[in-house]
Amino acid sequence: MTMVELNNGGQTDLAGVHSAKGLIDVRNMGVTFGNDDSRVVAVKDVSLNVQPGEFVSLIGPSGCGKSTLLSIVAGFVKPTLGEATLDGRPIMKPGSERGVVFQQYSLFPWLTVRKNVEFGLKMAGVELGKRNVTARSLLDLAGLLSFENHYPDQLSGGMKQRIGIIRALATSPQVLLMDEPFGALDTQTRVVMQEILTNIWQQFRISVLFITHDIEESIFLSDRIYVMTARPGRIKAEIKVPLPRPRNAAMTDTPEFMNLVQELKGLIREESLAAMAPEIKDRGLTGFGMKVGPKGVGEIF
Amino acid sequence: MAPDKSSSQVESAQQAEPAKPADAAPDMPQPETIPTVSLREIVDNLLKKITRERIITAVLACISLGTLFIVWYLGTRYRFEFYIRFKNVPTPAEVLQQLTQVGLSNRYLVNIAISLRRILIGFFFAIGIGVPLGLMIGKYPRVRDLFMPAVEVLRPIPAIAWVPMSIMLWPNNEAAIVFITFIGAFFPILLNTIHGVHSMDGVLIRAARCLGANEAQLFWNVILPGSLPHIFTGLAVGMGVAWVSLIAAELISGQFGVGYFTWEAYSLVNYPAIMLGMITIGVLGLACSGVIRMVGSLLMPWLAFAPGGKR
Repeated sequence: MTMVELNNGGQTDLAGVHSAKGLIDVRNMGVTFGNDDSRVVAVKDVSLNVQPGEFVSLIGPSGCGKSTLLSIVAGFVKPTLGEATLDGRPIMKPGSERGVVFQQYSLFPWLTVRKNVEFGLKMAGVELGKRNVTARSLLDLAGLLSFENHYPDQLSGGMKQRIGIIRALATSPQVLLMDEPFGALDTQTRVVMQEILTNIWQQFRISVLFITHDIEESIFLSDRIYVMTARPGRIKAEIKVPLPRPRNAAMTDTPEFMNLVQELKGLIREESLAAMAPEIKDRGLTGFGMKVGPKGVGEIF
Repeated sequence: MAPDKSSSQVESAQQAEPAKPADAAPDMPQPETIPTVSLREIVDNLLKKITRERIITAVLACISLGTLFIVWYLGTRYRFEFYIRFKNVPTPAEVLQQLTQVGLSNRYLVNIAISLRRILIGFFFAIGIGVPLGLMIGKYPRVRDLFMPAVEVLRPIPAIAWVPMSIMLWPNNEAAIVFITFIGAFFPILLNTIHGVHSMDGVLIRAARCLGANEAQLFWNVILPGSLPHIFTGLAVGMGVAWVSLIAAELISGQFGVGYFTWEAYSLVNYPAIMLGMITIGVLGLACSGVIRMVGSLLMPWLAFAPGGKR
């Protein structure tokens, strides 16, 4: 694709080590919210990296600080401790070399679909004709060219997220950061979107940091998975996904895939229980037995 | 919601587009054909717009206005007098006669023109200051802390209460009246603009930053269009208050203007002219808010698809 060359042609070998761009490196990261009295340690001593062209997922129970980590890499939040770098340069603020796809729909409702995709290019001062061509070819890639003149409010959730992805790709970022992008979609749409994403990624081969709490999703998409603990979030395990590329839906039934799911489920379950500990500390899960019986809750009282 | 209304807007939104890519990207292949318009299509489209929903709307509007008219007509016809006195109220026929006598006279039209000019000048100053200031106050807490105390003190003072001060402040009556009109329109516009910025989804601002927007670009491309629906609410409210303020100012201190026309008629015991003046004010106010609504829907075609139909 021409778009990828746009950015990579200019700067090469900044650190003198990596010829490919898009290396995310997070070192000894700690994030604390609040003041002395109401201190919350969201993330504690996390180190992780995404190699150029690698698809890495970050998975963990809700509230473990995985979205906070992504916000740091995106440049919205400053870490309390440690540092995040992209290709050796520290990340200070948001920028178009890091595309972000949000969990909420984040298309500008006052712009047509094509103008939404063009947004980043317009900000960069790319001339109208050129950004038109880029936007249309990306829309074609996502199968949405016929909707280029629609407004976001006319589209379904899955379409909006696909446009969100290609909008983030339009400025040829070195990395793509995705914060549970399919979290708001129904299960069926989700599965299809995962396939579309893996196809798009195979064409661009840029580094992706993908946040999710869906085990199958993380395995299907990733080369590597980091599992985080309950709050304060730490890296509990790092798992390689040896499944071949290109991936397709049939792979989810293979024994390798199933084994990975089992392994991750075990890791996550412990953490989910830990995350819920305050709610279930006395009785454990057995406390939620079926003593109520078929007549319903009303019978107890 | 009227489903046929939205579908007709879909058509117009799609039809409006094909012209753009042609001048935008001359090197792109053009799959769209240039639409040809025949007279028959136009007539068909017009007929299609006469739907059940629209007929009902029109009938209810007639009932609404007709009731006012019938109360007026019957009250003056039978000289109704029970606490409320219709004794001196002019009949519709008298007002119509007044309109044909005065209505096309120079004096009446000049009065309308002068009132409109005052409204336009005051209103545009209110937009010119209210919208940028509102955007800044909405965006930057420091600016808010600086301006909001003064705004909160000045806001409860009604525009009419500004009349004596305004006459003292400004060198002539004309400037004083325009200033009062400005005061009336300013606060609704300012406060709605601030509210527009505050009610914007934060994820849109974060998304724009990630796409490389700097501060100025963020204002022009995200914050302004994102608060536009609320700004237009402010404009509609502001226009209404501007008319109220203008007429009050003209009644008290004016020379010329529709308010002055009405007050002069009262001094001269010309009752039909009072009624004519009142109706003129009503129609002019209606026309002005109609223009604002029209401009709003032209600038924000996307609102037609917004969930819940914001407008």
